[in-house]
Amino acid sequence: MGPPDREQLTMRAKASRLLPVGIAAMLTTLVVVFYYPVGSVLSSAISAGGRLTLDPIVAVLGDPFYTGSAHSLVTAPASLPRRFAAWVNAGMPAVDFGLFGFTAYQALLSTIVSVAVGLPGAYLLARFEFPGREFLRSVTILPFVMPSILVAVGFLAMFGRSGVVNDLLATVGLGPIRLVFTLEIVILAHAFYNAPLVTRLVTAAWESVDTRSVETARTLGASPLRAFRDVTLPQLVPAILTASVLTFIFTFMSFPIVLALGGLQLATVEVWLFSRVQNLALVEAATLGAIETALSLGLIYVYLRFEATQISTHGKEHVRSRLPLFGDWRSISDPRRLGLFVYCLVAAVLFVGPILSLVIESLTTPDGAFTLDYYAFLFAQQASTAVGTIQPLAAITNSLLFGFGALVLAVPMGVLVSVVATHEGRGSRVAEALLTAPLAVSGIVLGLGMLRTLVFGITVFGHRLTVTGPIAIVAAHAIAAYPFVTRNVTPALSGIDDRLVDAARALGADRPTVLVDIELPLIAPALIAGAAFAFAISIGEFDSTVLLAEGVDSATMPVALERYTANRSLGPNLGPATAMGTVLLVVTTGSFMLIDRTGRRWER
Amino acid sequence: MNRRKFLTHSAGSVAGLAALSGCIGNTENSGQTLTVAAYSSFTGDGTAGNWLKSSFESKNPETTVTFQTTENGVNEFIQRRSQDAPIDADLFVGLNTGELVRADEQLDDSLFAATGDRIDGIEEVKSDLDFDPAGRVVPYDTGYISLVYDEDEVDEPATFDSLLEPQYENELLTQNAEGSDPGRAFLLWTISQKGPDGYLDYWNQLADNGIQILSDWGTAYEAYQDEEASMVVSYSTDQVYYHGDDVDISRHQVGFLNDQGYANPEGMAQFADANNPELAREFMSFMLSEEAQAEIATRNVQFPAVEGVDPGGDFGEFALEPPEAVTYSYDDLVGNVGGWIDEWARQIVSN
Repeated sequence: MGPPDREQLTMRAKASRLLPVGIAAMLTTLVVVFYYPVGSVLSSAISAGGRLTLDPIVAVLGDPFYTGSAHSLVTAPASLPRRFAAWVNAGMPAVDFGLFGFTAYQALLSTIVSVAVGLPGAYLLARFEFPGREFLRSVTILPFVMPSILVAVGFLAMFGRSGVVNDLLATVGLGPIRLVFTLEIVILAHAFYNAPLVTRLVTAAWESVDTRSVETARTLGASPLRAFRDVTLPQLVPAILTASVLTFIFTFMSFPIVLALGGLQLATVEVWLFSRVQNLALVEAATLGAIETALSLGLIYVYLRFEATQISTHGKEHVRSRLPLFGDWRSISDPRRLGLFVYCLVAAVLFVGPILSLVIESLTTPDGAFTLDYYAFLFAQQASTAVGTIQPLAAITNSLLFGFGALVLAVPMGVLVSVVATHEGRGSRVAEALLTAPLAVSGIVLGLGMLRTLVFGITVFGHRLTVTGPIAIVAAHAIAAYPFVTRNVTPALSGIDDRLVDAARALGADRPTVLVDIELPLIAPALIAGAAFAFAISIGEFDSTVLLAEGVDSATMPVALERYTANRSLGPNLGPATAMGTVLLVVTTGSFMLIDRTGRRWER
Repeated sequence: MNRRKFLTHSAGSVAGLAALSGCIGNTENSGQTLTVAAYSSFTGDGTAGNWLKSSFESKNPETTVTFQTTENGVNEFIQRRSQDAPIDADLFVGLNTGELVRADEQLDDSLFAATGDRIDGIEEVKSDLDFDPAGRVVPYDTGYISLVYDEDEVDEPATFDSLLEPQYENELLTQNAEGSDPGRAFLLWTISQKGPDGYLDYWNQLADNGIQILSDWGTAYEAYQDEEASMVVSYSTDQVYYHGDDVDISRHQVGFLNDQGYANPEGMAQFADANNPELAREFMSFMLSEEAQAEIATRNVQFPAVEGVDPGGDFGEFALEPPEAVTYSYDDLVGNVGGWIDEWARQIVSN
């Protein structure tokens, strides 16, 4: 980089003035599209008729249906020692903690399974070189954009009574196993959605593990396992924990997939919240949402406190080279490679199976014959001029435009929050936790809030203002997405050697200049990872999009897909939806290969 | 990334939000516009909504019909009314008894206007479908909830009690009564059979026999097609989709428990503060005409609400009507239905 010319200097001067404007714009957008809509709903959990009240929260926490044995903490705290003694005397039987207890239990199991399935994937992608690695890395994003109805279709085809897994088991004389309508299949579906999150976050961390420290440990006589445990693992812990916390929160608030694969007896808090909204029991819904949000934010805050103590400074110049996965003949008997081979079989059943089943379903009639009717249906929709028809091409275009718009908005938003978070000062963890709130709020609560404020309109100075349409959709997507950018960028940003920043400041660079010219290029991989998440979140988003889209003109691929599920022109089957789902997968894969390629070029 | 670009984008978004505010709905037609609120699958290529629009417009050249589709059905309008937000639609299409009860329980003043005798053809509507004692909602079609079963796997399920037999263990799929029309209808049907004091006990036994309650009709039917079970709560029109030589009809048998089907009529009503009340009533009259009734029936795959209409075609040949139709009236449901469903859901989740 040569000395800056006059034009660059003027740009920098402008940038330093624009940074506060950017922050103000971000906060305004957040307030309009997120905090105000959500607040309008959640406030009824703690206020009635303009007065603060704890009654709704006490009513929920004191109801054994919601909290099981813990309800007496609220209703009769004085009786607690006696109850505890009675429980010990009874031989400490299993305790029921109600709907909240069950929801947390399944989220915990889901998190453990997701991490167990996601970690070997990260090991494979970060440490081994093999043909198709880049492609594989790109498609790990696909589960993020898959609507639950399609995941249900894929899972039934793989794990159902007459599914592929049972067919395979039958060939070796085992089975059949009954997985559908059990907790196990719900947890597997949660792993399908969240293990890729673990893989992506940990791969990024693993790739930036400093090779020098590993080599030093080996030179000093540490075994490979010891070097991994003492040197590599500590550097992965923040990424693993971030992924675990996010997975726990997402699966705690899991909703449509539970009723599609598990059934009502496995209902989570979010399922119940949705029912309350449908019955317009809005105070109870708001209370459930407020408790969920408080639990999630609390968890995020505790985690952020921990993360701040974990991050060590590292550079990215000394990245270890990957090992060839398929080496000479000895590699066949290598236990690591054998383990990875077994892992690939598991991953094929869990990830490739459902996705492939979906593609096959899109080409098969209910009777099992080959058909192109569902794709012909898409062309017919494209050609139709009937009012209310969603044309597939328009949906693809909208999805890509909104995805790009969300990416362009979410990356700077996420970076700004990271800058706040890494700022050494009191309250910066609280600030980051609050700014990460879009992860911690139930999608149903946000949707309800948007409906009641942005869609219904807000009266300002006698005018009723509504905020809907494409720009509102992009803003909503960006807000759902930027916390993912932050979660990628914050650890990387705190890992930058402070001396670099101090040196630049001493040479007269202001804060924005340091950020843009020095820090951001150093954390390019994290930025690209965040950008990819932002794009994926936008492509997969359904709840806000369908509310804010005015009619069919702003419909995206998931909205089109949902509409086609209700179309009975080819009979009561999901064929047209699976065809649209296949299109969604193809478009997403293409976009991600492009994003990854562009990202790598920029990194160099 | 170019930083100037991102800054102007983030600043632009707010300006855009403001600029966009309050610019919904401009009509290009000089004549009148009728706005029909409906669920989203009512419109689109080949739907009843689309046929109604073009036919009504060709009969009334000065009129344009626009649709306002919502994801939340009538709940959106109940909330608009309770929040004093504007309602731009003239009539609502696709209302059932439970939803009308909810609207009335939530609001002090009715969301809908009494139109009763001012609708042409209303006297021809089947009397057992008429579910609004206040004469606001006019039924335009109905479905009958029944079982669809596989006769190769199980015997015809004849009665509610027979569903508790071992041969039907893990073989019945239904839908969540809190969010799904057929699921709610099936629950209400069991209450009508077992009584408000006995239905929870009956459902305990159903649960012991492995009934599965999924989110909605589409999910349950998909699981049925994937052979996860041999019976599914569905509609008596199943064979309209499945007939002919190349279809295995054994998996599309319709079972009327206790020789009954639970009627789930769909109705339409004019909003109390419609801008074009007369036009709305004209449209409602049109929907009851013989021609429209036949078209709605075949396109919605539901039975006509008007006596003596034969939709003909596949529908006329393959749609099955139950020997006896049962349904709860508005007066039965008001004050009760919320509690019935809530207690049922709590019992299912707690077990």
